[in-house]
Amino acid sequence: MIVRRIATILFVPLMLAFGSGVYLYLGTLKSKTVKERVQLPTVTKPSFTLPGTMFLAQGGRLFKLKNGSFTEIGPSGDWSMPTLTPDHTRLIAILTGKQSSDLYLLDLNGHVIKRLTKNDAKIIDANHWTFYPRVTPDGTSVMYSYDSPKFGFRVDFAIWSMPLDGTQSQARRRTDPYWYTGGDISPIALPGSAIIYVKHSIDQTGVHSQIWYQERSGAIGHGMTALTDDCGAPALSPDRTQIAMICSAGKQSAKLEVAPLTGTTLGPARVLLSGGLYAAPAWSPDGKALAYFAPTGAAGHFQLWYLALPAPAPALSPSASSSATALAGATPAVRASPSPAPTPPVPIQVTQGVDLSATSPPAWF
Amino acid sequence: MHPVRLAVLTVVCLLLSGLAGAAAYFFPVVVAGVGQTGQTVVVPPSSTGRVSPTPSAPPGAPFTVLLLGSDDDSKFQADHVLTQSMIQVRVEPATKHVTMLSIPRDLWVPLSTGGSAKIDAAYSYGGAAAAIATVERNFHVHIDEYAWIGLKGLIRMIDELGGVDVIVTNPVLDDFYPDDIDVTYLYGYKRVAILPGPQHLDGSHALQYVRSRHDDIQGDFGRSQRQQQVLLALKSKAATLNAANLPDIVNALKGEFKTSMGLDRVRSLLGVASTFDIAKVRQIVLLPPTYTSYGQISGQSVILPHWAQILPLVKANFP
Repeated sequence: MIVRRIATILFVPLMLAFGSGVYLYLGTLKSKTVKERVQLPTVTKPSFTLPGTMFLAQGGRLFKLKNGSFTEIGPSGDWSMPTLTPDHTRLIAILTGKQSSDLYLLDLNGHVIKRLTKNDAKIIDANHWTFYPRVTPDGTSVMYSYDSPKFGFRVDFAIWSMPLDGTQSQARRRTDPYWYTGGDISPIALPGSAIIYVKHSIDQTGVHSQIWYQERSGAIGHGMTALTDDCGAPALSPDRTQIAMICSAGKQSAKLEVAPLTGTTLGPARVLLSGGLYAAPAWSPDGKALAYFAPTGAAGHFQLWYLALPAPAPALSPSASSSATALAGATPAVRASPSPAPTPPVPIQVTQGVDLSATSPPAWF
Repeated sequence: MHPVRLAVLTVVCLLLSGLAGAAAYFFPVVVAGVGQTGQTVVVPPSSTGRVSPTPSAPPGAPFTVLLLGSDDDSKFQADHVLTQSMIQVRVEPATKHVTMLSIPRDLWVPLSTGGSAKIDAAYSYGGAAAAIATVERNFHVHIDEYAWIGLKGLIRMIDELGGVDVIVTNPVLDDFYPDDIDVTYLYGYKRVAILPGPQHLDGSHALQYVRSRHDDIQGDFGRSQRQQQVLLALKSKAATLNAANLPDIVNALKGEFKTSMGLDRVRSLLGVASTFDIAKVRQIVLLPPTYTSYGQISGQSVILPHWAQILPLVKANFP
């Protein structure tokens, strides 16, 4: 009898512990790749030291990446799309509010120097969005996408410009977007009066994006890429001879391409990477490498990658890509003629465990 | 106590406690299995006798699921909601082929419950049975199963899966997006802007992406394409799940999901989802002018079906 009582006393906690153990163990079997915990860049250590200084965004916060470590800059708020003035002394970034977004001029430590636009309003549809700021090469004006004019359900971006030291009342619209497509975005000002931007238009198969050239304000301009290539996110090399871009051809996988800029047109594009979700390419200060965002694993959080460009320009061997594939889950490929390939581009993953804003292009100098 | 008896008793007790631990872990799944899956649907027979309801397809055979997505907020009485999204999905487990056909919510059709209206009203008049019967009679197909999800359920499920990755083709801008989730005033609007390019969307942004239609030149058709796109992105995420994730998913969908599928069918569907190739998914949207056209009936903007073009398409893809 006593033995039984002792056994009962011993068995009850044992059973409770074992049952709880099974419960907890089952919890550990959950797929970890689905909901990966995101870290702030500042608590991570990049695996590769990028040359120069880069500004990028994650979850509405701005970060500076320099000498292999991240520093958070800027006040609190929903910040994105940092871009540099040509003299690399100031930043322009977007602060997004509940129903609107605005341009702000910041110093390189993220302190606000000046609010450039005021797009918030009490009446909901009197609010405006401003995105994709880019300063002209002479540093006098800023180009950006602005959802005006709009009416009722029609809300489309046009490219606008305003003097950097002026006021929003001096802003002028320079493009006429196709209605109900989302409009014109991602301007890049060239020396003189020309710009390159992304134009959205429609055919029988749906809405497409094209890299577009406009000689002067108000001009119609022309496409630099084919309509069905669905190219966007253009980045101009520091020497202004090449454009990096992301093309998806209407599919749910993208290509990272580079094409020579010859006057007002683009030459044949080289496909550096394909078969992944590549976003927001940016040129290194010396123009010999690209940085871009791409997710890793099933979690889908975008990490920063570095890709040294092969030189000279043409010819990469599609077969010489196994190392890159293993590293980045990417498929390096070429669109140009497959002649002897000196070195295949091998992407290097710079960050791990962060979730960078893929729609916010980084600034790099 | 005899050592053998003690050993046996120990093993039995541990087994029982282990089972109890496992049962506690999967309890939400069991509750959902009873309450939300295997929903009985009695599809009223067609007066024309064209389509007769039959039992579910046997295991391994191709089957068609009608996916329904609804507002489920307090604007509507429970179970009398409109279906903002109707997608027929045919799954062929053997060949791992999947075909998706989006039905425009404003398609003007005779309803199984009587009269003609936009097809999104079928569910509000007669629940899943009426929605299925209306689709079967108009599209001359047999629906084996249905699955209904509410807006909040979609948000929570996507968040539970850690978000979805999509390539957004063009800016999705909307100044009149319904501000009706977790608010007291249900008839307000807010502005949304989903910027283009590859990106990671959480649940609420993914919902904005699949729900917005006002600035889309293709209107509801553009939205249908985005819905199919997110559905495929969800499939990619679901492929990484295992049974241990089910309680969290079920908790996320609590009260926001109903299906006629039993747990066995759900499990086999997850199995198919993890193996089929997205490149083999056939996506169909009934775009104008070939399959549909815009019209006005009783002061309402509607989509008029071109059955002469739609029915051969449906027959070819949903045999």
